[in-house]
Amino acid sequence: MAAPDPDRLTELGKRLDEAQKRQAAGAKRPPPSQAGIAGRFATELVAALVVGGGLGWGIDWLFGRFGFHTSPVFLIVFFVLGAAAGIRNVMRAATEINAEIAAKTASKPEEK
Amino acid sequence: MAMNPMEQFAIKPLISEPVLHIAGHPIYFTNQALLMIIVALASSLFLTLAVKPNRLVPTRGQSMAELSYEFVANMIHSATGEDGLKFFPFVFTLFIFVLCSNFFGMVPGSFTVTSQIAVTLALACLVIGMVIVVGFMKHGIGFLKLFVPHAPWYLLILLIPIEVISFLTRPISLSVRLFANMLAGHTMLAVFAGFVVSLGAAGGVYMGIALAPLLLIVAIMLLELLVAFLQAYVFAILTCIYLNEALHLHDHH
Repeated sequence: MAAPDPDRLTELGKRLDEAQKRQAAGAKRPPPSQAGIAGRFATELVAALVVGGGLGWGIDWLFGRFGFHTSPVFLIVFFVLGAAAGIRNVMRAATEINAEIAAKTASKPEEK
Repeated sequence: MAMNPMEQFAIKPLISEPVLHIAGHPIYFTNQALLMIIVALASSLFLTLAVKPNRLVPTRGQSMAELSYEFVANMIHSATGEDGLKFFPFVFTLFIFVLCSNFFGMVPGSFTVTSQIAVTLALACLVIGMVIVVGFMKHGIGFLKLFVPHAPWYLLILLIPIEVISFLTRPISLSVRLFANMLAGHTMLAVFAGFVVSLGAAGGVYMGIALAPLLLIVAIMLLELLVAFLQAYVFAILTCIYLNEALHLHDHH
């Protein structure tokens, strides 16, 4: 076997690097389906309400144990806070999904 | 014969005697435990045996192991950056466990471990526990800054509780998403399978109609294979996103 041509080897190395870079840019990601997005938003919103309500109920219960009858003040306050947290979660999720879609369309514009 | 589509999710002891007692509670060896052991053994055996030949030109098995390695490594790298790769073993194990549980659950007659909220919630709590530990180890008490957004102080009174609740939501939304997807998919399959059985039993013209749900099952089965992968992926990527926040606090991209 003849000794490999150093020029061709460096050229091959360069092409490999480029190919790897291209692959890393368009890292295979499953597309977010419409139903998936809807499901994600729903769980984020409902989970925040459950956590908020649960926290408030727990605080009320704790105060009740020590003889302060706050119920249902904290339940109401934390339920509202939970709703706000849920909307915050959904906004965050929406930003993430937008960034993902933007990254995808930017990385492979030639595909239709 | 009426079939209960939820029956497939029932946890049954495989050995009638409890295996051991913990604080007076009998612990049984259930179909759940069996499947979890099968999943853990099968995935670790496959991954260790597949890379054993260690060839330059990989065999099919080695290629699969290497592809899954690269897939997860790329995912961590893009979501958390260079220093997130320390958590590769953790995220990879989680991803492979959820993926294999989902796929083993697709085998007819088997049991889907990830359709149990107890399992997914435990996994999600593990993730969030990890995030909290990592955050405090890296930033000390400064990790609490995660809950303090950039805002005037009078808004912080309102915003800090909101951020805390939002953080506490994570284990729930993480676990409910995986559990609900698997539960819904498998229930749907069982319901349509029930249609096939009862239409087929009715005989005559109904036998022909039974073909429709049968074909539908094939389609749903394919969709479920996609969902099985997608949910494992979502679980892993969200783990990465949460780890990223613990590592880098507020400097989002």
